[in-house]
Amino acid sequence: MLQIEHLTKHYKGSKKGVTDLSLYVAPGDLYAFIGHNGAGKTTTLKAVAGIHDFEAGEIKVHGISMKENPIACKKSFAYIPDNPDLYEYLTGIQYLNFIADIFEVSAQIRQEKIQTYADAFEITASLGDLISSYSHGMKQKLAIISALIHEPKLLILDEPFVGLDPKAAVTLKTMMKEICEKGGAVFFSTHVLEVAEKLCNKVAIIKEGSLVVSGDMKEVVKNGESLESIFMEVAVNGQTKE
Amino acid sequence: MVKQRNSLIRLELTNIYGINIFRYTKDKKAKNRYTMLGFVWLLLLCMLFFYVGGLSYGLIRLNMADIIPAYLIMIASLLLFAFGIFKAGSMIFSAKNYDSLSSLPISQGSIVVSRFIRMYVEDLVLALVVMFPGIAVYGFFIKPGFTAYLLSLLVIIVVPLLPLVASTIIGAVITGISARMRHKTMTQTILTLGFILILLVGSFSMEQFEGGISEEMLKNLAAMVKELIGNSYPPAVWLGDAIIGNGMLGLLLYLVVSGSVFSGMLFFITKYFHGICSRLFETSAKHNYKMQTLKGKSVLGTLYTRELKRYFASSIYVTNTIIGPIMGTLLSAAILVVGIEKVQNSIQIPFAVKDFLPFVLAGVFTIMTTTCTSISMEGKQFWIIKSLPVSTKAILDSKILMNLSLIAPFFLVSEILLIIATKPTLLDLLWLILIPTALILFACVIGISVNLVFCNLNWEKEEYVVKQSASSMLGGFAGMLLSILVALPFVFLPVDFIQYGRAIICLLVFSVTALLYYFNNRKQLQDYN
Repeated sequence: MLQIEHLTKHYKGSKKGVTDLSLYVAPGDLYAFIGHNGAGKTTTLKAVAGIHDFEAGEIKVHGISMKENPIACKKSFAYIPDNPDLYEYLTGIQYLNFIADIFEVSAQIRQEKIQTYADAFEITASLGDLISSYSHGMKQKLAIISALIHEPKLLILDEPFVGLDPKAAVTLKTMMKEICEKGGAVFFSTHVLEVAEKLCNKVAIIKEGSLVVSGDMKEVVKNGESLESIFMEVAVNGQTKE
Repeated sequence: MVKQRNSLIRLELTNIYGINIFRYTKDKKAKNRYTMLGFVWLLLLCMLFFYVGGLSYGLIRLNMADIIPAYLIMIASLLLFAFGIFKAGSMIFSAKNYDSLSSLPISQGSIVVSRFIRMYVEDLVLALVVMFPGIAVYGFFIKPGFTAYLLSLLVIIVVPLLPLVASTIIGAVITGISARMRHKTMTQTILTLGFILILLVGSFSMEQFEGGISEEMLKNLAAMVKELIGNSYPPAVWLGDAIIGNGMLGLLLYLVVSGSVFSGMLFFITKYFHGICSRLFETSAKHNYKMQTLKGKSVLGTLYTRELKRYFASSIYVTNTIIGPIMGTLLSAAILVVGIEKVQNSIQIPFAVKDFLPFVLAGVFTIMTTTCTSISMEGKQFWIIKSLPVSTKAILDSKILMNLSLIAPFFLVSEILLIIATKPTLLDLLWLILIPTALILFACVIGISVNLVFCNLNWEKEEYVVKQSASSMLGGFAGMLLSILVALPFVFLPVDFIQYGRAIICLLVFSVTALLYYFNNRKQLQDYN
């Protein structure tokens, strides 16, 4: 579903970035992407989402190259950043309508979807208000709804649980699972290791721009260890997990 | 409290003109962008230097050296006032850092003072740039005593005070009224535009000498100009007189007036600062939305609608870019009211004004296009467009369409007014429509090209993009400059070739526009961060 091959992206004048990163997200995968602040998670996710260009490597979504055909690629996934800076001059419903127009979602389907998701996240009553009046959590909810409107097969999320209230976090987890059960996939970064361990079937740990661990959660976390202890071993103490 | 205030002032001044970012950024692209911006500013400063220096030299040659200081003070004050109206309200009552500053043990007065000082320093730089070359030329040729230089320095330091006070009062009144309204941005835009229009109309009527200039008047031109300056802005003559040695009373009067008005204004703004800010930054949420039937739009349609909403959500963006179309319409109306023959007689040029109307109209309509800053205006929200499945062409088309639809109604009215005023032949009518259309299209497209080169998405305040960016400086006047450039050959062209010349100009402008449009659409927006 998502294939990242030898991705290399560096910021000019900075050591930060990603070097030769490869991973594969298969249909049905709920893939956690963890690492320190500045390890390269957001850079990777932004390159996958087509927000950043990259120097080397290849990113393919459903076999379509992001470099060669970015528009076709972007049609099949949705991305939510860690800090949803949305168009504050639009109302919530205007923003959702805008996204639905871009993805060419029919009027009837968009209405059904918006109703369902807005009710689930309990922001229907606020959809007529300007986004500038929204709290961080409400913006996050709106960004999530906008990502789900066109029923993407792949969800790319950067710190999706930050700012969400507990009920909304549970709702989002349920939705993520449902997407994967239907044959889709979710690739997301998080600092909440317990959530990653309980929710995901796959995990990747990134350190200083390079992937140090990746694979099935059950294979990475075994012998009674926790994801937290594994993370501390490989990402903090620098040991490589075989 | 003084310590805290000083820290706050230091903080305000740390990143003035983006100096701090330039110093510490490790992003080479950002560094290059700032360097380029620096060069653009340097170029503009050089132009201003030569303009002001040349003006002073011209006045010396006309035996009018004594009015140079007053003239320079007048120009500087007008510029400071004009720029101040746009920025004062938003700078003083800026939402940026308001919450975090309000929670710190700092008085409201310190916040207001620090913001004033930032504005004053920016104004001081502008005053220096305008006045220094003129004073230098004056000093070189007239060779006044040391006191004149000393007084010039003192005058430069105090010149920004009154314009700063005046523009802040207007900015504060506009902001204060807007803060009480539900549609704050719209109110702010309408009030600012209304005020600028009053100033424009006022300045048009002020510049006229009743009955033209007679020979007798020419002999006494220096006194007349001084009187005109004195009538328009008396402090310019007070300060000017101090520099040329006509007594210090004017300077003292200015210091007393500006000092007391400044202190009074500071007191009132400090008193109402919290109230205005609270009203201004509060957001109302009805929280009563019920799902309604939704309608779909085409991709271009939805992008265009978003551009429109973005445009009208920013007061400074609207006021800065709608002036050209408004001035164009006013100009056309003035020609209709006054009559083309009277205009021809009053200008006294050896060629027909009528022939140059298409270029004049284009020149005015293309001042400050929205496209030249429309990409930068995406700011931190640019990630949305970049992550969506839309082509660069569709995004840029929506920005061009937005600019064209803003100009279109004004242009249509202007054309009708000019057609009634000039009663053109069929061929002249064609050029009256085609030439401005070609140049307006060019201005919109080159605005995008310039913004793609000087794209700045990491701005703190909208005015930095709309008013102070390289994009707005270069892209905002590109259309006007080309209008002047393509009009020049017609001054020398024989009458028989005028129609061919117009056709060739149109063809050339359309071709260059098409080429720019093609290259713009090939850009990868992922390269812009």
